[in-house]
Amino acid sequence: MADPLLIARGLGVRFGSFQAISDLDLSVSLGALHSVIGPNGAGKTTLFNALSGTRRPTQGEIRFRGLPITNVPACRRVHLGLSRSFQLTNIFRDLSVAENISLALQAVAGREAWAFWRARDPSRVSRDRAAELAQTVGLASRFEARAGDLSHGAQRALEIAMALSSDPKLLFLDEPLAGMGLDDVHRTKLLIRRLAPERTVVLIEHNMSVVLDISDTITVLAQGRKIAEGSPQQIRSNAEVKNAYLGSAA
Amino acid sequence: MTMEDLRFPNWITLAMGVTLVAMPWILPSLTLASEILVLATGALSCTLLLGSVGLLSFGQGLYFGLGAYVSAILIRDFAVGAMAATLAASVAGCLVAALAGLLIVRRQGVYFVMLTLAFAQMGFFLALAFPKLTGGENGFGNVTRTTVAFEQLPLSNPLLLYGFLALLCFGAFAFVQRIIASPFGSVLNAIRHNDSRAEALGYDVRRFKLAAITIAGGIAALSGAMNTLLLSFVPLSAIDVESSERLLIASLIGGVGSPLGAFIGAAVLSAMSDFLSPIWPRWSTIVAVLLIVTVLFLRDGLLGLGRILRRRPKDALNG
Amino acid sequence: MSAQVLTFGALNGVGIGMIYFILSVGLTMIFGLMQFVNFAHGAFYMVSAYAAFAVAQWTGSVLPALLISPLLAAIFALVSERVLLQRTYNLPHESQILITFALAILAQESMTMIFGTLGKNVPVPEVFSGVVILGGFVYPSYRLFVVGVAAAVAVSMWVAIERTRFGAVVRAAAENPEMVGLLGFDSRKVFMAAFAFGGALAGLAGALAAPLRGVEPLMGREALAIAFVVVILGGLGSFSGALLAALLIGITQSLMSMIWPGGAHLMIYGVMTVILAFRPAGLMGRA
Repeated sequence: MADPLLIARGLGVRFGSFQAISDLDLSVSLGALHSVIGPNGAGKTTLFNALSGTRRPTQGEIRFRGLPITNVPACRRVHLGLSRSFQLTNIFRDLSVAENISLALQAVAGREAWAFWRARDPSRVSRDRAAELAQTVGLASRFEARAGDLSHGAQRALEIAMALSSDPKLLFLDEPLAGMGLDDVHRTKLLIRRLAPERTVVLIEHNMSVVLDISDTITVLAQGRKIAEGSPQQIRSNAEVKNAYLGSAA
Repeated sequence: MTMEDLRFPNWITLAMGVTLVAMPWILPSLTLASEILVLATGALSCTLLLGSVGLLSFGQGLYFGLGAYVSAILIRDFAVGAMAATLAASVAGCLVAALAGLLIVRRQGVYFVMLTLAFAQMGFFLALAFPKLTGGENGFGNVTRTTVAFEQLPLSNPLLLYGFLALLCFGAFAFVQRIIASPFGSVLNAIRHNDSRAEALGYDVRRFKLAAITIAGGIAALSGAMNTLLLSFVPLSAIDVESSERLLIASLIGGVGSPLGAFIGAAVLSAMSDFLSPIWPRWSTIVAVLLIVTVLFLRDGLLGLGRILRRRPKDALNG
Repeated sequence: MSAQVLTFGALNGVGIGMIYFILSVGLTMIFGLMQFVNFAHGAFYMVSAYAAFAVAQWTGSVLPALLISPLLAAIFALVSERVLLQRTYNLPHESQILITFALAILAQESMTMIFGTLGKNVPVPEVFSGVVILGGFVYPSYRLFVVGVAAAVAVSMWVAIERTRFGAVVRAAAENPEMVGLLGFDSRKVFMAAFAFGGALAGLAGALAAPLRGVEPLMGREALAIAFVVVILGGLGSFSGALLAALLIGITQSLMSMIWPGGAHLMIYGVMTVILAFRPAGLMGRA
């Protein structure tokens, strides 16, 4: 059996006196579509922040392709092959869709970002590639539009396009379907499903039917700890998981 | 800013060139024209930081003073030509800015602004504490007008001096325009809009900020050297907090959206200083009111006013 | 440099540091609550110092200024909030900084217009013009008085914030303005009260400092920079951090003025630089 692409061991994140995640082990297989679910406040986004480098864990270690990356800053992880989208839309609102994606492409185009003596080199940051990415997420018709003027669903799509720009091996998608209408949900679900196994995808989502439909593996968190892990079948029939959700149902 | 504004060279470059050539003939005195050049170059350093990266600096006066003193010392005590002295001053500005930047860039937002003010104040006390080097309260004097380089082109000729300063000023402007319209500039712009996203895309935000701070320090030091050439003297006030404030106010009033704003703000402020200070010593009051008006109503400074008056649609912009 | 002289210098520094503390704690508390740094804070200090001078001129003693100056500063703070600051709450942070900066310039120009550009002397109040003998040291009574006042302020602030209902409301408002609104408190009023109080503290510092260093138009600028150093080192929003940092730089300044007077002020910033190089988050080390 091949080594997992990403391993987290004994991961813990603490804010002051509040322990957001404790003693978490996670193993993501190459080419898997791995979902992380759990009730609100379970620590899912904190986990993502630790895995993607936005927040340094207080305990534990993370390894990517065997290399320790626990303390590697987020901007460096992108160059190693990890990438993420954000739960709260975090795009450049005043720039166009084209520029948003171009910036994402430029970041991984070698030393292009540091060229201060000339205009952007189209052979290094290809407009065609940007258009392609926009097309993939269904934004081809809005390529020149100002990002802040897009509908919510379109902005979520842009998030995904930007995350895909760096051609990542491992893609973290934080609630990509949040706030989307039914059509968008369906299309995005298919898009995400198509990403694996060429890429490995780790997904946080609340939309249970989508999660159960497309995931290879599901990890369930509650109150900062892992309470279950397995195939969609196994999770569906897991009593503890039901408890965790029903117990915290508002 | 429109797509047009982000190309280099563009109409702004042309406008700057024409204005610099025309100024000696339009303005009542060559000295005023030269003063505007010095202040415009200094203000440009604030414009670069605030307009491009979104960093508010109350401390560019530190580098202005540094450049002034370094060039003065080189010219008076080491018989260095103006070109070389100016270059050396700019390099010194970059070095010190890089060092200070290493400390400052670790802090975000308001901490950053406060640190720039603290460093500006430190510069002042540094100059005061070493009077043998800087002349202390009395300033550094007798920096007699030298030649540009290799004993050619004596700067004792006021028109030649203006020409040299204009060249330096234009060079700085063209350089900043070039940076803004480059991939590097697009990253600075992205950082200004959303630095956490820039970080998540793979940009080492701190390094880019440090680079911007370094360049801005060099530009401010350049203007300090220009000031020395103009005055043949370095007053202590070149490095006090008010110096920092003057540069910042000039860039704000003109509008930080474009390098042209630095020039406009400098022109307005210099003209006000020249015409008002003999009449009313407390003319800074008007400047303060102007600043309030700018912050509350004229978000893009006087440049923005020009835009409103010409009714150019603000959102024809693109990345 | 004998131990005795050093100790005297340190004690002197405590006096200076305490004034720096009162000056800075208002700034840091306002930031902790309102996420807003007041660049006119030094102006409050300066205006109050001039008020103390005026009081001393009219009444022959500066003591009434200890009440009048803080009051004046509080009014100044409230008026500037009403007239200017409240327009900036929806604008980016830079706007608030720049508006208060402009306000500081206006204040400085006004004082210069009224009192002129030269510095003025403010006599130490009669009752404190003597000295106190503390175990072999001769210590000016006024400085001791300043330390006493500052200590009293520090203690009462701590009690007010940690132990009273008002303090609890203030702390809650800092964490969650909406929730406090739902509980029936107007968070805007809470902030305004805090802002006025912060201004009053700067005013008290100004009145206390006036007899020690005189008054002149540029003192506000200098005070602002020092308050910034204290707050940078102590951490924005940290009461104990402000105290520690203020004492540190007060003592540094005092000791330096005995060894190398020309570099006394410089050393404040030197210490700041060194500390930041090793602890970027300041003394209290909050990341």
